[in-house]
Amino acid sequence: MDETVKNLSMKKSFGKSLLYALPMFLITFVFITGGKPDFSDPAGTLAILVTFLGMNILYFLMHYTGKTDKFRAIIFIVFALSLSFTLIRNMLEIRHSMSFSQADIVECKIPFCHLVIPMMILPAAFTKSIIFPGTILGGFANISSMVVLWLVATLVLGRGFCSWGCFYGGWDDGFSRLRKKPVIKKISDYWKWLPFAVLLMVAITAALSLTPTYCSWICPFKAVTEFEQVTSMESAAKAGVFISLFGGLVVILPALTRKRTQCSFLCPLGAINSLSNKITPFTVKIDKKACNECFKCVEVCPLFALTPEDVKSGNVSVFCSKCGKCVDACSKKAIHYGIKGIPAGSMKKFSRNIFLFTSFFFIALFSSGSIITVLKSIFNLFI
Amino acid sequence: MLDTFILGLSSGSTCLLTCGMVFFPYLMAGSAGTRKIITDFSFFLLTRLIVYFLLATLVWYFGKTIFTSAIFRNYISGILYILFAVMLIWYSVGRNRKPDCPAKIVTMVNNKKLVPVFLGVVNSLGFCPALLLILTKSATQGTITQSYLAFLGFFAGSSLYFLPLPLAGRFRKKKVFETIGTLATGLAGIIFIIKGITNLIGGIING
Repeated sequence: MDETVKNLSMKKSFGKSLLYALPMFLITFVFITGGKPDFSDPAGTLAILVTFLGMNILYFLMHYTGKTDKFRAIIFIVFALSLSFTLIRNMLEIRHSMSFSQADIVECKIPFCHLVIPMMILPAAFTKSIIFPGTILGGFANISSMVVLWLVATLVLGRGFCSWGCFYGGWDDGFSRLRKKPVIKKISDYWKWLPFAVLLMVAITAALSLTPTYCSWICPFKAVTEFEQVTSMESAAKAGVFISLFGGLVVILPALTRKRTQCSFLCPLGAINSLSNKITPFTVKIDKKACNECFKCVEVCPLFALTPEDVKSGNVSVFCSKCGKCVDACSKKAIHYGIKGIPAGSMKKFSRNIFLFTSFFFIALFSSGSIITVLKSIFNLFI
Repeated sequence: MLDTFILGLSSGSTCLLTCGMVFFPYLMAGSAGTRKIITDFSFFLLTRLIVYFLLATLVWYFGKTIFTSAIFRNYISGILYILFAVMLIWYSVGRNRKPDCPAKIVTMVNNKKLVPVFLGVVNSLGFCPALLLILTKSATQGTITQSYLAFLGFFAGSSLYFLPLPLAGRFRKKKVFETIGTLATGLAGIIFIIKGITNLIGGIING
């Protein structure tokens, strides 16, 4: 390896990596156990232990190997799968079905998810009403806690929320990794503006009709969470849309392109998170002096956040979700995690350490509950 | 009215960004004060509204005369919705399309006082797929009031973008807004395809 590149490697020694992992070890221990470990239930104890160790091993490996994306992807994908499992399990327990009826809507029993947020803003501002039929406080997936968690995460991470906090992103991230090489190589980045158009449309239609139109008509993740009971032509058409969009944008296209197509071309919350990238302290920087313009970063970016022009100008676009794929792919270590105000090329290790700690904290906080639930269910089958 | 308002809102931004640069110099030419700008805009918008109401009346009358059966009305509107919505989507995703403003011919008008009125007429009669969709809707409405409301929705949605026209020249990211507006137009097209299919199915079931 080139001596300069070797010096710039993000790898750490075993002892140093352990030292860096120690604060995360303590923090995850506190919020996973709630500060009061209860070892009375063997399956639950085992689930907590496996989750706790698994997370901390992944965080340790990020420091030890100097690589980010592949370890982030493991927890991100497991998070998406486990969350869907938890949601479905809850729904089966509560209403014995994955579908909800009009009565469930009237009684505000629908679990809230962060994708509703873009549709809530205008009606909340103008009519002081929340247009989602869920619980505001208390109960499973209530509105206030989800909004607060999203708000804090997006203010800190910007669009990093889409790779470190979203419980759906792992689906298309996972499918985008199925093939080693993409079958479809050229997709115009013109389409990356589509989420803004979707945002515009759903925000307006939701404000005018006072219904969460994205959830009612478009959301592909209805296919793996809950959906409206099919009782009419309209509800059948909706179910058709959910399944087609899930199949097309979450499964087939990511597998063929190695890109996260749902996140890139549809998600309206992703559009809002892109805007919050403008205010977050964390960013990805390009050191133009070190860059040899091989454009490997452009090729691997799953969200069309980098173009050759961006690389030449040394600027990463607002579409960046800080997943770390480009950072790991750069042989010259020219692209790196950075903090706004610190020039590109300097304090790379410091910036990465701070970013990793913050972003991993969020993903661990968001995902641990659902992962423990899934593991507990699995262990209960054997213990 | 909601669907036509959305259509106006989604296609209005593209309309503004395609034609805004043509409108802007003419509307602003020789205008020193806010009063003149407001007067010119008022004439421009009023002309559009009048033309739309005239179109609503004409189209509703012809629709009533030609589409005598309700089922036939469902079939025709369904097919036309789908056809024009596909045109609208093609208009929004066709990468080789060179947007051209019909109001360019305004250069032929010598009387500056007539320019806002002329612009209003040309802008309203620019037969884009969005207007064709509204015409279809209007022609298949039961009452003339419904026909007026359909055009009123479209007028309100598309006019919103003309309000900050004096600032249009200062947009730093015109291209981005144009792209988002164009894509939103395509999405509005999808809404009308669904509407068209629903009408067709309604026609088949009732027929």
